[in-house]
Amino acid sequence: MNRLYRIPRQWLALLLCVATLDAFAQEEVKLAPVTRTYAITNVNIIQGPGRKVDMGTLIIRNGIIQNVGKNLSIPSDAIVIKADSMYVYAGFIDGYSRAGVIKPKQETNRERPKDPGNPDPEQAGITPQNDVRTSLNPADKSVEDLRALGFTTAQVVPYGGMLPGTGSIIQLGGETANDMVLLANSAFYSELTGAQRMYPNTVIGVMSKYRELYRQASQAKAYESMYASNRAGLERPTNDKILEAFYPVIDKRVPVLFKADRYLDANRVLLLQKDLGFNVVLGDVKDSWDLIGKIKSSNAKVFLSLDLPDAVKEEKKDEKKDQSTAEKEALEKRKAEAIAQYTSQASVFQKAGISFGFSAASAKTKDIPANLRRMIAAGLTEDQALAALTTSPAQILGIADRVGTVDNGKIANLVISDKPYFNEKAKVRYVFVDGVMYKYEVKEEKKADAKNGNGKKADPNGKWSYTTETPQGNSTGVIKIKSDGGSYSGTITNSMSDRETELKSVLVDGNLLSFSFGFDAGGGSMTIEVSLTIDGTDFEGTMSVGQYGSFPMKGSKEPNR
Amino acid sequence: MKKLIITFLFAAAVNLLYAQVERGNVLIKGGTVLTVTKGTLENTDVLVKDGKISQIAKGIAAPAGYKVIDATGMFVMPGIIDAHSHAGIDAINEATAPVTAEVFTGDAVNPFQIGLYRALAGGVTAIHAMHGSANAIGGECETLKLRYGVKDPELLKMEGAPRTIKFALGENPTRVHGSGNAIVPRTRMGVEFVIREAFSEGKAYMEKWDAYNKAKTQKGFRGAPPAYNKRLETMADILRGNIIIHCHSYRADEIYMLLNVCRDFGIKKLVFQHVNEGFKVAPELAEYGAMASVFSDWWAYKFEVYYSTAYNAAILAKNGVTTSINSDDGELMRHLYHEAAKTQKYGQLSDDEALAMITINPAKQLGVDSRIGSIEVGKEADIAIFKNHPLSIYTVPMVTLVDGVVRFDREKDADDQRIYVDPKQTIDVTLHTSTGHDHETCMQGAEYTFVRLFGLNQQEK
Repeated sequence: MNRLYRIPRQWLALLLCVATLDAFAQEEVKLAPVTRTYAITNVNIIQGPGRKVDMGTLIIRNGIIQNVGKNLSIPSDAIVIKADSMYVYAGFIDGYSRAGVIKPKQETNRERPKDPGNPDPEQAGITPQNDVRTSLNPADKSVEDLRALGFTTAQVVPYGGMLPGTGSIIQLGGETANDMVLLANSAFYSELTGAQRMYPNTVIGVMSKYRELYRQASQAKAYESMYASNRAGLERPTNDKILEAFYPVIDKRVPVLFKADRYLDANRVLLLQKDLGFNVVLGDVKDSWDLIGKIKSSNAKVFLSLDLPDAVKEEKKDEKKDQSTAEKEALEKRKAEAIAQYTSQASVFQKAGISFGFSAASAKTKDIPANLRRMIAAGLTEDQALAALTTSPAQILGIADRVGTVDNGKIANLVISDKPYFNEKAKVRYVFVDGVMYKYEVKEEKKADAKNGNGKKADPNGKWSYTTETPQGNSTGVIKIKSDGGSYSGTITNSMSDRETELKSVLVDGNLLSFSFGFDAGGGSMTIEVSLTIDGTDFEGTMSVGQYGSFPMKGSKEPNR
Repeated sequence: MKKLIITFLFAAAVNLLYAQVERGNVLIKGGTVLTVTKGTLENTDVLVKDGKISQIAKGIAAPAGYKVIDATGMFVMPGIIDAHSHAGIDAINEATAPVTAEVFTGDAVNPFQIGLYRALAGGVTAIHAMHGSANAIGGECETLKLRYGVKDPELLKMEGAPRTIKFALGENPTRVHGSGNAIVPRTRMGVEFVIREAFSEGKAYMEKWDAYNKAKTQKGFRGAPPAYNKRLETMADILRGNIIIHCHSYRADEIYMLLNVCRDFGIKKLVFQHVNEGFKVAPELAEYGAMASVFSDWWAYKFEVYYSTAYNAAILAKNGVTTSINSDDGELMRHLYHEAAKTQKYGQLSDDEALAMITINPAKQLGVDSRIGSIEVGKEADIAIFKNHPLSIYTVPMVTLVDGVVRFDREKDADDQRIYVDPKQTIDVTLHTSTGHDHETCMQGAEYTFVRLFGLNQQEK
């Protein structure tokens, strides 16, 4: 530093200049666009469900849709996109997911509280005071992936336990976390998820705790307002950030967005709603076609899941037909019927007159377009699907004045596809978020030869020793995996017995290894699902045991002998 | 006025949207009716109107639109009630604290469990879906009617049944909390302390609220209410006599201990569960008015249940204790009529006394004996029809009705009775294997248990 001071001023200025130039040379610095005006010409404009302008022009200026129609004059400063015979729609809205939310690091060896019945609220997943805005990252890959499908807006929620915090509605674009936020504190996010190995651990514990906190908050709020009106002679109210987080919900200024993917969970959420009276939004609903009556009477809002069970694969049937194949066929038939029910849920809701949006919370992003087509094949019309992606969620989320249709004055959130969006061959070519253009080149279809997960390859073959951490203590054992041609098989043992249990559906995708196995638990059998990431000769992952939760699992390969 | 009418209409519309409990109209003809409380009536008809028994007589003509079940040569008994079950719920133990009085199994009802249908196929029509025994004071339990086929969990709940709560003494709570977490209770005296402390806190809470509610009625009162606490509120409700205690217990000393605790706190509604050493304190139980729900002959599965006898139920009953036989198990629940019959081998109970063990007595223990548990006019038509006398080893359950609706019919029993099919669930074919019947499978998986229990095959080491 001292030396620098001795350099004459003009030299210093020059040095700085060089330094900056140098930085330019090394990093690719984003330039502000020359213009924020775009003209999309000769395009089929689907302004909203059932509203279409053939071969029209759309003009965007400063992030806003300035004009939509035919024979518009192109502004001189506009970048012209010749979207000849393409289709433009309002950007899609995802009603509930975690796109762009930074996943907290899994704490390993987290200390168990001394008294598991009375843990720190943070450890127990009770953090309603948290705000998803503190963990947004516009560069997160999930933002890019969802945007590439045409989604431009999403209601996102924090990670956590039963009360993770408040969600926000974000734009799937922007440079900073602040840029993303369209509407902060849009929902009080809740789950029926229990805390691991501490109170409240089960769904009955969570529901009980939820009622208690809600009633305590109502009580505290009432006392605070009594105190505010005349403080003389009253003890001052205690300050409690957890209870305060409930106040907007009690006032019905903010709805509770509840994860309700399973039918029974949705029922339980509506039971809480009936007891406590909050405004409720059911998120990621997958199998609640039987819940329509209750949804109507509780005035619940709904985001249906974009996840669907895999479609039935056609298999070659054996010639021989003994009684066991007959039984198997009957079981397969019921399974197919169940899958059909999942697929037609959206059209059942539509026919019942319930307005709904979609949620990408648990859907594999790449499956979303195909799942939409399956729902359409099962009875939803294309306009209804479009409404569920645009106008309906905009209404439910209270942002219909800004997004959801292609109309003058709305935010320039758009998706442009080369064929009608729901066509199987349609490809997204442009997405606009807040008037910022994202362009997608149509890639040559590659021959599908390598499907290697995230690219890294690992060799699962061999003998692995593992440890899992469960409430009953640690368990150890041995997993053996071997490949037969293209597929894999294997066995597992545990610390109680050396008996080898056959592994089912062993899948290897790059360095990801997953399998399941049956476990005989006194009268009933249950399925344990394991998914692991292999790193050389070590692996780490989780073991899910039905309703009992997921437990960490790790291990390493035993050397070949 | 107009507003009132609109409000009323709206309420009616809302009610319509919520599914209603289905109640049947049915005539059960010509069976031997085992009323349990009013004797046995041969060749008698039972008329059920709108889910309730409206007439019991010979030669009743079926009113138009009534379903008729021909029970000629068969036995018609009240639906079996299981006072101790964990079926029909997705969560059993909130095992994280010694006292979790605030939780409620009714929040986790699962109407899709196939075990409920299997229980119906054993003549069971109502079960006590209990919290587990991990905690000294577990949670509130739910009384379910086995209306298998409904999808709304609320419809499985026996509407208006009294509140009950699970307590547990002995090895389970001391193992989970004392040995497992190194907190109180570590011993049986620790369990007593935990229960007494919870009642004392509940009492203080109740008094605080009573004082606050009284003060609030005074003009110009200003002040903070006591902090709401769901756990203590539940404890207070037990003290107020609003909740029946069902206590998991084995040893006579601890059973007697809880009698004393309840006496000290003025609690009268008390049922002991399992009660393997109940026979030692039968007169004391009878005097207190405490009831007992026992296994017919299950013991020695852990140290505290070694001192047991199959005469337990008979001894308790003969001493005037209202006694029931329960299952606590999905398999036992399917043949509770056999379990009840064991009291005739061990204790020579009469048919009515034995049948009472699985009908009216458990109904009393759940506080629902005015509604179910016997075949009487005015009672709900929860009825089981058996091919032979239900206490015969040759009997077969034929038809089971809940609220006059047939929920199990042996003639119409399909291979796959699931209501909800999870597409991700894989079910192995159950009926036949390609190799046919394999005698080896009888002992499959058992060898390992023998090795562990008895150290067999040690010489191999």
